[in-house]
Amino acid sequence: MAYDYDVVVIGGGSTGTAVARDCAMRGLETLLLERDDIASATVGTCAGMISSGLKYMDEPDIVDMCSEEVVHFRRIARHLIMKNPILTPLMQMSDVSTGGNFAEEYSKRAETRDVPPVLFLTPEDALEIEPTLNPNIIASIYFEEYFISPFRLCLLQALDAQRNGASVRTYCEVHDIENLDGGGNQVTFFDRVSRKTESVVADCVVNATGPWADEVADMASANVEIRPNKGAHVILDRRVVNVGIIAKAVDGRMIYLFPHENTALLGTTALDTWEDPDKLVASSDEIEYLLKSMEWVVPSVREARIIRTMEGVRPLVADWKKPEDDVTRGYDILAHEDDAPGIFSFVGGKLVMCRHMAESVTDMVCEWLGVDKTCDTHMQPLPGMDGDVDVLALSKKYGVSQHMVERMRTRHGTEAEQVLELADAHPEWKTTVCTCEPIMEAELRYSIQEEFPRSLNDLRRRVRLGTGPCQGTFCTYKASAILTKELDWSGIDYQLEIMDYLAERWKGKRPSLRGEQLSQEELMQGIYSCVGNIDQSDAEYQRKPWEGIC
Amino acid sequence: MMSEEEAYETVKQTLKEEGISPYKPDELDVVASIENCINCGTCINHCPVVAAVGINRFSGPRSIAVELSRSPPEYWSAGDMVYLCTGCGTCREVCPKNVDIPEIVNLIRARIFEHRPDLVPKGLHTVRETILEHHLAFEPWDDEEEKEASRDMRRERFGLPVIPDRVVRDAEVLFYPGCQAEEVAQEVKEAGKAVLEFFEVDYTLLDELNCCGLPSRLMGDDQTARELADELKAKLDELGVNKIVTTCAGCTSNLSYLASRDDWNMPVYHLVEYFREVIGLEKLKEAAKQETSGSKVVVTVHDPCHLIRHTSRQLMNEALEILDCLPGVEVSVSEVEDSCCGGGGLVAYHSSAIADAVTQENVEGIKNTDADRVVTPCPLCTSQLETRLFKSGSSIDVDDLSVFVAKYLPFEEKTSND
Repeated sequence: MAYDYDVVVIGGGSTGTAVARDCAMRGLETLLLERDDIASATVGTCAGMISSGLKYMDEPDIVDMCSEEVVHFRRIARHLIMKNPILTPLMQMSDVSTGGNFAEEYSKRAETRDVPPVLFLTPEDALEIEPTLNPNIIASIYFEEYFISPFRLCLLQALDAQRNGASVRTYCEVHDIENLDGGGNQVTFFDRVSRKTESVVADCVVNATGPWADEVADMASANVEIRPNKGAHVILDRRVVNVGIIAKAVDGRMIYLFPHENTALLGTTALDTWEDPDKLVASSDEIEYLLKSMEWVVPSVREARIIRTMEGVRPLVADWKKPEDDVTRGYDILAHEDDAPGIFSFVGGKLVMCRHMAESVTDMVCEWLGVDKTCDTHMQPLPGMDGDVDVLALSKKYGVSQHMVERMRTRHGTEAEQVLELADAHPEWKTTVCTCEPIMEAELRYSIQEEFPRSLNDLRRRVRLGTGPCQGTFCTYKASAILTKELDWSGIDYQLEIMDYLAERWKGKRPSLRGEQLSQEELMQGIYSCVGNIDQSDAEYQRKPWEGIC
Repeated sequence: MMSEEEAYETVKQTLKEEGISPYKPDELDVVASIENCINCGTCINHCPVVAAVGINRFSGPRSIAVELSRSPPEYWSAGDMVYLCTGCGTCREVCPKNVDIPEIVNLIRARIFEHRPDLVPKGLHTVRETILEHHLAFEPWDDEEEKEASRDMRRERFGLPVIPDRVVRDAEVLFYPGCQAEEVAQEVKEAGKAVLEFFEVDYTLLDELNCCGLPSRLMGDDQTARELADELKAKLDELGVNKIVTTCAGCTSNLSYLASRDDWNMPVYHLVEYFREVIGLEKLKEAAKQETSGSKVVVTVHDPCHLIRHTSRQLMNEALEILDCLPGVEVSVSEVEDSCCGGGGLVAYHSSAIADAVTQENVEGIKNTDADRVVTPCPLCTSQLETRLFKSGSSIDVDDLSVFVAKYLPFEEKTSND
């Protein structure tokens, strides 16, 4: 019996999009369902480090796997990757990580990743590299890690899945999975855009919903247990440190301050949580924990400008009665053979493993379907990886500033030229919409036309709209007008979208508001309330069906 | 196991590959200041380059703060913008958050210079070669006799007395005319000497002038800038002076900056400031009273950015007080008196059309006054304004303030009294 799809993947994070890509590349009829937007939950709040296995040197198999995955990512998505040198300054000898044989394990695999082994630097040399360090350090450990844009990785995986024939649907929330008599699974979901409920039947269902894995499995009467663990990041407005810094926190855990794209991320906390993952915000305790811990090695960190916080939930493997640090960083795939045949659920995992996780589950799906195809996701480049981009030549050819083209390159790789072609065809679209990033109108139009965003927040994830120091002060109204035009919305939609986006940003800004960011917020209030009068808007806001009453 | 030295070399190699030059301790305050930008855009409305060529050609100070200065590995890509900044400092002056844009421009230029010298405008490499070869920002004269002939001609043209160069140990003051007055605008050096001589200041020149390093700092050649500063400091110590007086606005601001950054512990004066604070305006007034030709002259003043924005606005009040001491001089205020002349930031060396577009604003403003003459305490502003006024067909002359003042001093009388 032929079903609508071979496989339905639930969840548009790093794992879900990787699974959809792998399934589609192996020729399976694939549907990806995401309740919100691509990379809108856990992966969208991570630091973007594709770690060599830093924190789990006691699990050599996992370290091997991570090391290999880094090599694969550099092959398939080099344009999204940057290398960060990292210093671990020691204030006293006991500050050495309890990772035990870290230096040895790291160095063993360094060459395959094209990085030097772990090095030891004198305090003088370390201070030369990073003058913000506390001058009383006694030594520093040095190593290098790669970082990827998590948003673009997920989006490109989803786009590549689409290009290989998969159907990718965002804003579709699954609310029932039924194991049909005689085989197949019926997946019922609510489309938040059309506001219609739909059902499809597929042989297999892959549950890649991270912290919601238990909830989704439960819809199919299957049992999944995870150990939800929340983590917060504090985001600084620019790269205030030359290199990444790792420090021992107040409780002995290791935390970090990593330059990432044009910001710096201070993170992360790790707290067992039973909160609703939809309603998380960083607490002042978490912010203070991070500042206090980093302050010992980078005393000026407290004076740096915090623009916002972000918080997510890790779906750890349910290993109890031990500290979070001791829980495996590996992943498990649960095949619910008895309760829900054809359904596979993920628990655990890390960003760096997402492709590997996808390969494993797709092998299982293929076996279930009797399809004999091997994985090729580690060899085939992601969109935009068709070679090097000559930023200077493009800047000259299209009359667009070099920095604008360079930022475009980090997002679109070789496809940046398509954005520039669009700008060439519509010279009025060369205007800068987001001044911090920067983003020109043509890039927004391109993203809206090619990358299926449904809101300004989706554009934030695609092109970093509004992620700079001013946090959307100057781009929101302009971008909303462009989105309204492209999606043929009404004037009321235009206003509501501005309010939605500002409200969404506010959630991340509020916990850390202090210092200079208060002046920025005053300016934003002035523009939108006093000048734009948006707080007096008569556009009626109707609560959406999925919005709880609280 | 790698030695610590090898380890450090390996790290430096990675930093080089990633395009990262670590911030130096004296740069951290600049970085912290840029963090304060709230993207309000006030600076854009005041930037003379944006006003002259538009935001698409030069994206302006706001873009430098919120966009171009956030990520060191991407600094190279700012090369098409940051070299168009004239460094006038208007943005910093109008900024509600005191963001130090001119310094972040120097910091970014220094990174581009280090990692992508191919993206530094060619015209600046030419200046650099001159500096490296001669330790001066202007090509020196090949023939010493020709240089003297030119100097004598200029002395005569401006009616300045003949005063031989003086180099003595342990003088109170070093008179530092700067490269431009040494090699090009020689009348400024002669006027400076004349003024100091007339008021019996115990001064010396350098045996061999060397550049203060401002042009090197502005083009991003931080290493040469620091070397020149050290070389100059060694000469000061050797001579045993304890004050510096200069007639150049750029040298005033840069020497003050260096004296503070490197703890020189030595006051730096522009000549106008030295008049006010040390010589005394009464003396000037007394001397100038003897200028009895009775001729009246209407002048308008141009404020050099390196004085009003990089040193202190007080300096131009002092310049006006000096003019007030001169008989028959009337000041007609230009509405653009404190607008950048376009000559700053070395922009004219590689994008002269942009520098000239900035100057044009001043030319219009000056023409709208009823002045016969422009006076400004900066040889660079003098030259930039003179050229554009002449090209626009105006007959208005431009004088460096030191030269203008020297013309009012009764040298013959003094000489005969001696």
